[in-house]
Amino acid sequence: MSNVIGIIRALNSGVKHLAVKRFTLRYPEQKLKFVGDGFQFNPETGVGIAGLRGRHILFHENCTGCQLCSVACEGIAEAISMVKVAETWKHNKKAIMPQIDYGKCVFCGLCVDACPFYALYMTNDYELSSFSKSALIYTPAQLAIKPNISQDVEIKISDRGASHG
Amino acid sequence: MTTQLPPGMHLETVDDKIMTLNVGPQHPGSGHMRLIIKVDGDYIVSCDPDPGYVHRGEEKMAEYRNYIQNIPHLERPVIHDSSNILYPYCLGVEELLGIEVPERAKYIRVIAAELNRCVYILYWLAIYGIFLGHSTMFMWPAGDRELFIDLLEAMSGARVTHAYLVPGGVRNDLPSNFEERCLRQVAYFEKRLKEYEDIFYQNPLLKARTEGSGILSRTDAIRLGTTGSVLRASGVDFDVRKKEPYDVYENLDFQTVVMKEGDSYARSRIPYLEMFESCRIIKDALKKMPKSGSVRTKLKPNPKGGNDEVYRRVESGRGAIGYYIVSNNRPEPYRVKISVGSFRNLICMPYLLKGEKLGNMPAVYWGLNYWPVEADR
Repeated sequence: MSNVIGIIRALNSGVKHLAVKRFTLRYPEQKLKFVGDGFQFNPETGVGIAGLRGRHILFHENCTGCQLCSVACEGIAEAISMVKVAETWKHNKKAIMPQIDYGKCVFCGLCVDACPFYALYMTNDYELSSFSKSALIYTPAQLAIKPNISQDVEIKISDRGASHG
Repeated sequence: MTTQLPPGMHLETVDDKIMTLNVGPQHPGSGHMRLIIKVDGDYIVSCDPDPGYVHRGEEKMAEYRNYIQNIPHLERPVIHDSSNILYPYCLGVEELLGIEVPERAKYIRVIAAELNRCVYILYWLAIYGIFLGHSTMFMWPAGDRELFIDLLEAMSGARVTHAYLVPGGVRNDLPSNFEERCLRQVAYFEKRLKEYEDIFYQNPLLKARTEGSGILSRTDAIRLGTTGSVLRASGVDFDVRKKEPYDVYENLDFQTVVMKEGDSYARSRIPYLEMFESCRIIKDALKKMPKSGSVRTKLKPNPKGGNDEVYRRVESGRGAIGYYIVSNNRPEPYRVKISVGSFRNLICMPYLLKGEKLGNMPAVYWGLNYWPVEADR
């Protein structure tokens, strides 16, 4: 008898969910909202600023070509290589800047921690898939572009359950 | 006729009553490992686990990277529990380098570790459910796991491999509205957890399959050197968080969950009950945490450890994880040895599966809370 009650109770707890809104986020129509503009780092205090660790953004006016990001990436993913850039900056005599291979990058963000000149941050852009391996290699010019994506869905919790709106 | 065999090899004698089955290494029900099972009809005569298919040499890799560069690859063995597998490494390196951790960072680390424990247990519960044929128990934990993943994402910036804990504290401070959001989602999750009870744990079908199967007695559990939920399900009150408290666990209010039965049902129920305790710890830690202050001690570039060795351990989702780190005045560690819970629980498998029905193999196997990738390192 207790078995029958147990099965009825189990069925009942499942049936209750017929009236509850679905929890699933309907990606790609909906995109989840993140904290801030991505992971950043303050070299003065040595502490990062919370944010999603997505695709990098490179500020050409700050980059000195010191290669510290590339050194940090050695032994982790070896995704960063320094390449020649056409533009000339007074503070970047060698005219080299990081180029990132997203086929190798593990998004640990230790390159951002290594940058002492506020030149390399990370952004909320995580949709990096492509049809070829070469398109995954982002040149310094591509890294300078600020991503423009609308991510605005937040989780809603009410008495009847949670949903993504 | 005798054939000359190379030393160390032997011919297998074939019995026409006993059949040998290879479960894995590609079978989705076994994980990345092989179980060599001998069956007599429907009953298992012997079981020989064969791990090592996902060995990645993490320990050797750690000898060629400095203390900070070791962080991303050391969390790879258990990406669902990445804060907990990094925790003992950070504690060990802090002791080697003599770093003081700020008080706020200690609380944040505890919160990250407990959120990660819930993520791991929910993932494990989803697999446990689906291999017992309960597909609702796959959907629900896999969905509710998103609550914690979202919190960890806001905290650390990544959904699974967080690389959040570092020697000296944590990578970044909590975002501004984290506390309120965390409390809201944890309160909702506790309500959801109670629904699991009806649909899964009090379900007569689950009880019929798991109660009384694969019994591990208290003395055997200690003799075989098991750890984590397997040990606590056999009635041994041992939790590293209570017995050797690290960081701020001694200030926090929680209990160790212990059950006496030692069967598959108890082993599957212990992690579930531990999630309630994890929620308690998170709420308590958020209340007691200093509201402001530094979260990371600045390290020198390429810090060097002295001629020293250190062993630290923490409680993870699968039991005690210990790190033994030796340094010799270089920026890289001389030796890193990881002692993981999964590998130590694996030894019970031949004992527990003997005499079981073959259909009950997943119930016993997954009840051990075994993660093949972690065991192979």
